[in-house]
Amino acid sequence: MDKQLDLLQGTLDMLILKAVSLGPLHGYGILLRIQQISHDRLEIQQGSLYPALYRLEHQGWIASEWGESENRRKAKYYRLTAAGKRRLQAEAENWNRMADVIAGILGTKPEEV
Amino acid sequence: MTLWSRVRSWSHTTFHRSRMESEMDSELRFHVESFAEDLVGKGVPRQEALRRARIEFGAIERAKEECREARGVSILDEIIQDLHYGQRVLRKSPGFATVAVLTLAIGIGATTAIFSVVDAVLLRPLSIKDPSKVMYLQEHWQDIFPGFSVGNFVDLKRQSTSFAALCASNLASFNLDTGELPERVDGEIATGDYFATFGVPPIVGRVFSSEEDQPGQAQVVVISERLWRTRFHADPSIAGGVIRLNGLPTTVLGVMPASFDPLLNKTEMWVPARFTAEQRADHDDHYLNVMGRLRAGVTPAQAQSELQVIAQRLQQLYPLDDEGRTFQLQPLSAVLLGDQRLGLRLMLSAVGFLLLIACANIANLQLARSRTRQKEIAMRAALGASPGRIVRQLLAENVVLGLAGGVVGVFLAYWGVSWIIAHGPAEMPRLDQSRMDAGSLAFAGAMALLCSFLFGLAPAVRSASARLNEAFKSSSGISGGGRDRIRSLLVVGEVSLALILMVGAGLLIRSALLVSHVDPGFDVSNIVVGRVGLPDPGYHDPNLAQHTFERMIAAASALPGVESAAVVSRAPLAGGGSSNGLLPEGKPFDLANLINSQLQIVSPNYLSTVRLPLKAGRDFTPQDTRDNTLVTIVNETLARTMWPGENPIGKRFACCESGPKGRMDPVWHQIVGVVADVRAWGLDRQVQPEFYIPMAQMPSSAWDWIGRTMDLVIRTHGGALPIREVQSAVASVAPSVPIYRLSTMQQKISSTLERSHFDTFLLTIFAAAALLLSSVGIYGVLSYMVAQRTRDIGIRMALGASQSRIVWNVLGLGVRLALVGLGIGLLGALAATRLLSTLLYNTSSDGRNHLCCCVVHPAHGGAVGQLPSRSASDARRSDRCAEVRVKMEVVVGVRIRRAEV
Repeated sequence: MDKQLDLLQGTLDMLILKAVSLGPLHGYGILLRIQQISHDRLEIQQGSLYPALYRLEHQGWIASEWGESENRRKAKYYRLTAAGKRRLQAEAENWNRMADVIAGILGTKPEEV
Repeated sequence: MTLWSRVRSWSHTTFHRSRMESEMDSELRFHVESFAEDLVGKGVPRQEALRRARIEFGAIERAKEECREARGVSILDEIIQDLHYGQRVLRKSPGFATVAVLTLAIGIGATTAIFSVVDAVLLRPLSIKDPSKVMYLQEHWQDIFPGFSVGNFVDLKRQSTSFAALCASNLASFNLDTGELPERVDGEIATGDYFATFGVPPIVGRVFSSEEDQPGQAQVVVISERLWRTRFHADPSIAGGVIRLNGLPTTVLGVMPASFDPLLNKTEMWVPARFTAEQRADHDDHYLNVMGRLRAGVTPAQAQSELQVIAQRLQQLYPLDDEGRTFQLQPLSAVLLGDQRLGLRLMLSAVGFLLLIACANIANLQLARSRTRQKEIAMRAALGASPGRIVRQLLAENVVLGLAGGVVGVFLAYWGVSWIIAHGPAEMPRLDQSRMDAGSLAFAGAMALLCSFLFGLAPAVRSASARLNEAFKSSSGISGGGRDRIRSLLVVGEVSLALILMVGAGLLIRSALLVSHVDPGFDVSNIVVGRVGLPDPGYHDPNLAQHTFERMIAAASALPGVESAAVVSRAPLAGGGSSNGLLPEGKPFDLANLINSQLQIVSPNYLSTVRLPLKAGRDFTPQDTRDNTLVTIVNETLARTMWPGENPIGKRFACCESGPKGRMDPVWHQIVGVVADVRAWGLDRQVQPEFYIPMAQMPSSAWDWIGRTMDLVIRTHGGALPIREVQSAVASVAPSVPIYRLSTMQQKISSTLERSHFDTFLLTIFAAAALLLSSVGIYGVLSYMVAQRTRDIGIRMALGASQSRIVWNVLGLGVRLALVGLGIGLLGALAATRLLSTLLYNTSSDGRNHLCCCVVHPAHGGAVGQLPSRSASDARRSDRCAEVRVKMEVVVGVRIRRAEV
């Protein structure tokens, strides 16, 4: 599944993996946590969250089970699998490398060419 | 991502669809409601909060759809979707769908029905243990394959090491008297190893042991499940019970299961052979069936070479009997079912052809449709459907067609199988076991799918690969040259296949007609025949046996409406018989000089009763007894074989018994008459050399050869069958002796022809269906081509082409296609003729049939072509075409009628 870096999709997947790596969460909780740790600087399309979750589960990086939410309702909780953990690590490295390169490029001054 | 998670996810999607749907629902609802609650917590009114939450979430259905996609779409889902769509499309063109489904149903139905029969008769293993290990052994002498003599069997069994079990049996029938009507029951006498050879245990009681197969042992019998149920009410305590068999009290040892009938002879009981010391020393009478189970690790070839060694040893030991005699071994199934193979394979290929023709027809129809559907398909492609997806879509439509055809076909086949069982030849073993079982259904399903691909793939690929722009501008009607080629090829194929079938059916019909005109050699009208077997214990004395039959003749002759009555050891067309080697006087005693000839023992008035014409000499008289010269009457074939070109009257040959000085002391029979040949083994069989001796002069041992069994032959003045009267006449002479297989001579003749008539009938039906289907095919192609060229034709007519010219043009196209098909078909037909030749009576090198079929075929191609060609021309002058058509039909009709004559 070595896709080319599709920024938007890849980013959302990575953020979801990161969010559930901190502990099991239901879908709404993931949304809240990403907003919380990004200090609301990221606008996430709620409708696109669930297809991404289903895709990640289909790929085996997260797993789900039904549990009880904080307001005592039935909710589906997602957690990171071992494969997901490796994937998150790889994606994070990839992202950092890419960010370095892009930053390097963008930071280039005329005299350095 | 692991393979496992993919599989799990996919299987989940496939098998837990509804659960996943509801889970997805509640998950999304939870999200929206939680969001709304948070908003409520911030002071938004509940209604407003829910509304806002929904808006924030966005289009929920699209999200769901994306979720389903993300989860991996089930292949099954797509297939179901495709099938749904295909079914919808077909419902929109009911005419096409009906024609296609019916065409397919005919093809699949016929193929499945014949397959069920082939499966039951040929493919299913014999219901014995490890059938491939069981061999059938025959003697081989000159060019005949007689059974074993008891002596040869006993010596072989003693010397051979190749077989784990080796047994012999002989068909025999028994008078069973259970207090009701005495009944004749078909059975076998068998040696002690019989049941071990086939490895099947009894369902009740036990079978007889080798000890019980010794002379002087008590009378015992093993019976079949059928007999047990019909005559003994399935009495579980039957084992050990006593029944009366041939007038003797006999202990029933056990019951064999219904499936146990290793020689496929509908055997109802098995009695130990208990060969006497005298029989064991006899190497001269060859009649035993010998079967052996190969020892583990022994190949048939090894066993055969051992048989060779033993045969050579016996040749040296018993030169008088075994000179030039060898032993031959074949798998039992090949011996029992070998005769059925050719006919059934023929039927299977005939229905296969029919199915191919049906497929070609539907492929043609689909091609025509695909043209009109090009725009629809182009639209789908433009909207982003991949070529693969479009091919799959079109194939799915065909699969729907194929399955529908398959379902209707299964019903046809079900009906067909029961028809075949009811009307099929009785002599075909295991035919009654044919049924539509899981195997047949699987076969029908496989055929349906195979057909879907056969007739669907070419049109589908063609449609999918058609270029878009071409499709959108296709109202011009210019495209499709390549498609015409495919269509023409399909028509040519159909025509040639149909021709092969027609030629085959024509040959069989001609053969059947010829056979029906064969002279059986005697007057078959108003003759009734039935068999009477006198039991050995009660009628051991030859004089008593002879006397009983003479009284029976007298009793039958005295019946009202009876002209005369006689007995013969084997009536013509009754099957079976015994043969003897005859030594013409003047030739040294040597096996090579013996002429093998069928023996008939008759009462003096037999020849006059059946009106067998005397060609020379005299008939038997009551004075021909053992006190006078031993006399014989021969048939023309024997006279010709023994003394070619000479007058046989007065000449002598030795046979049947030896004089007081032992085996080299000949007993001479003088020929007093020559009679016409009788087709004793069926109208379509070769006449065998045959000789008749009077019952009063037969050697006493001959009563054992014929099992004290004779055919009572009665000529009536016509009118109703005096069955009851004949039965009571026999009973009045020999109480508790039944007369069986009582029927008219006409019935016996038709039963020998049953098989060939059945083959002929089936093949004719298949050929007619093939002709019909291929006509539809030609019609379809021509009308399509005409429709495509309407503008073309219009322009030509505007430029002054005459209408008749255009009619001939279109007609010519049909005839041209048919002619090419004929050329190819003729080659196939020639090959088929060679295959058929063994099933045919005297039709070998006759081109008339082929010619006739060839005439019918293009002519009907032409006649069928008329319809579209008429529509091509102006209606005003279409009477011209009708005229042409009438002429054509007259020609065809005359040829057909001539062929029938």
